[in-house]
Amino acid sequence: MAVTLEKGSESANSGNGAAPLHFYEKLPAAPNYGRSVRVVGEVQNVDMNQSPHPMNSRGELGPAAFNLQHNTISHDPFIRVSAPNHFADRRHFLTNVVNQASKGQTSPKRVDVKDPAAMARHIKAVAKYMGADIVTIAAAHPSFMYAGNRYVQDGTAEDDHEKDTPEQLCQRFPYLVFATTAWPYETLQAHRHNIGDSAYHVSQMKGNMILKSLEGYIKELGYTALRGVANPQATALSSGAGELGRNGLVISEKFGARVHMPDPIMTDLPLVADKPVDIGVSDFCSVCKKCAVTCPTNSITFDDRDPDNGKQLTRDTSGYGVYNGVQKFKINWKTCYALRPYTHQYWSSCLTCAAICPFTKPDTWWHTAAIGWLKNTPYAMRPLVVKTLKAIDDKFWGTIKTKRVRWLGYDSGIKPGEQACTVAGCTADHGAAAAKQEVTGNIGYYYPLKENTNRFVKRA
Amino acid sequence: MPMKLGPITLPFGGGESHKDDPFWDFFIKNAPVDIENSAVAMMDRAPEGNIFPTKAELHTPEITSSLVKELGIYLGADIVGVARLQSEEHDYPFGIITVVKADYDTKTHQGIGGQVPTQNGLYVTFVMTAWIKELGYRSNAVWDDDAEKLAAQAGLGTLNAQGRLVTPQLGPKVHVAKVIRTDLPLAADG
Repeated sequence: MAVTLEKGSESANSGNGAAPLHFYEKLPAAPNYGRSVRVVGEVQNVDMNQSPHPMNSRGELGPAAFNLQHNTISHDPFIRVSAPNHFADRRHFLTNVVNQASKGQTSPKRVDVKDPAAMARHIKAVAKYMGADIVTIAAAHPSFMYAGNRYVQDGTAEDDHEKDTPEQLCQRFPYLVFATTAWPYETLQAHRHNIGDSAYHVSQMKGNMILKSLEGYIKELGYTALRGVANPQATALSSGAGELGRNGLVISEKFGARVHMPDPIMTDLPLVADKPVDIGVSDFCSVCKKCAVTCPTNSITFDDRDPDNGKQLTRDTSGYGVYNGVQKFKINWKTCYALRPYTHQYWSSCLTCAAICPFTKPDTWWHTAAIGWLKNTPYAMRPLVVKTLKAIDDKFWGTIKTKRVRWLGYDSGIKPGEQACTVAGCTADHGAAAAKQEVTGNIGYYYPLKENTNRFVKRA
Repeated sequence: MPMKLGPITLPFGGGESHKDDPFWDFFIKNAPVDIENSAVAMMDRAPEGNIFPTKAELHTPEITSSLVKELGIYLGADIVGVARLQSEEHDYPFGIITVVKADYDTKTHQGIGGQVPTQNGLYVTFVMTAWIKELGYRSNAVWDDDAEKLAAQAGLGTLNAQGRLVTPQLGPKVHVAKVIRTDLPLAADG
């Protein structure tokens, strides 16, 4: 996509005497995503209506997946208030409240920004103050923009820029603010369990609230804030929130793969864009493959590739390759999706590939040290470092997650389908099914076990 | 924000001062021109949901209390307590008190930043209220003028001369969120 834009964007910047909003002389033909993703061909703008969830809403993924998403009320009280689509009463799901289309008006009194770098620092401090774990700023590129209709939050949003082309949008609103929350590490260990679901959903709800508040604040500063415009992953990668892993997830420096990819905010607020990061994900994913081994549906590829030049070395059925002009790892999302209706009584979010990823660790000094070692190693030496780090990871964190986690009265030490009350000191009568069942040991059970799932996809 | 000792910069300590941020005052103090831009207003007027028709199986009241506190902390509250309600206007036996850290007094700092503790408090009380209703019990989060008194009654801290809550963990830098009135069987603190 070769796009040449006129210098500056006077219309969006009239009269307040701030520095020129648009720093491009000419938009780069392709955005820079760092080492993990390369643009090698022409990129078509993606219509969000062709992405998994909207396809499922139209019933295109089969009745089982459709019914899971649209006709299923969870048996679990906490899932009913935290997971999208499994509530008994939609008013109990906070995201339904905060993801209403914004009705707030941009303040007519625009705050003068003399130093975009100071404003960039301010917006990051603001988002962190509200509770965001990662905040980055991307330079908007037309290839990030959604094609067709906006992917608006509650379907009712309309704004003056609805009909703008991707190029016009990027010219008028040159920045994307990407802010996200990380899932708590401890409860994530019980993935494929209600406990892991809570880790995912609670931080997701919080992130949605933070972004809505940040969107309102940008409007109060007197600048436009648009939602549902840009691809979050592209925004995250180009702004250095992380690198793309084999599991198709953006892997961040501090939290690994346990971060959400919420809808970024597009704005004309004068900011300074961040650059992609190199934390060695490209090198690690070429060697590690722990996510591919543990994926219950075999949806993650085992393809080998050269971490340095992106050259593909081997190839199985799907996986590493060029998709829509972008060379990257891609999961088989159809098989990933196919498991969900069959596990609903035990969990609603799988998260196996995120939990097993060696980058997914508590945000501690030793995690910082390990990543620091990897990223300060020359490319040629990195495979050695990766093999060492992976050996340490296999030894101390295991090749499969089986840690027993207790949270809010839930206990992953109870086998799926069984009932027991393991809360210390509880004298309440839980009926015959849960009466005095002993649960010992420190093993957590996470349904389904890998060997049960070959019926979804058999590996060659 | 690193701590600066003359020419030496330590990578820790010092806290977030925001003193070098020219826009911080605006963030904390300037009340929104359009209240629709405030996520706090959005959550504050959220409609009430229904109570789930089947009551969930509970543990003992003491344990249910500890679960309520565990959830509150997990959702981002700093201190959670349970007070016994005396009022005769309603028949809710318990009030769940949520306390969140507030660097700036939420009563006098009306900016979107000054109201961040209110936002965090509403997040906790919204999810908690919905969860209790999904457990099959009544719950209702309300702004209560006596919230700080109830917090002191639940042993979360003491009231100072101005009648404001002072806690052992956070001192006076606290915001007391909506009180969740409920008939969930709990054990009151204090």
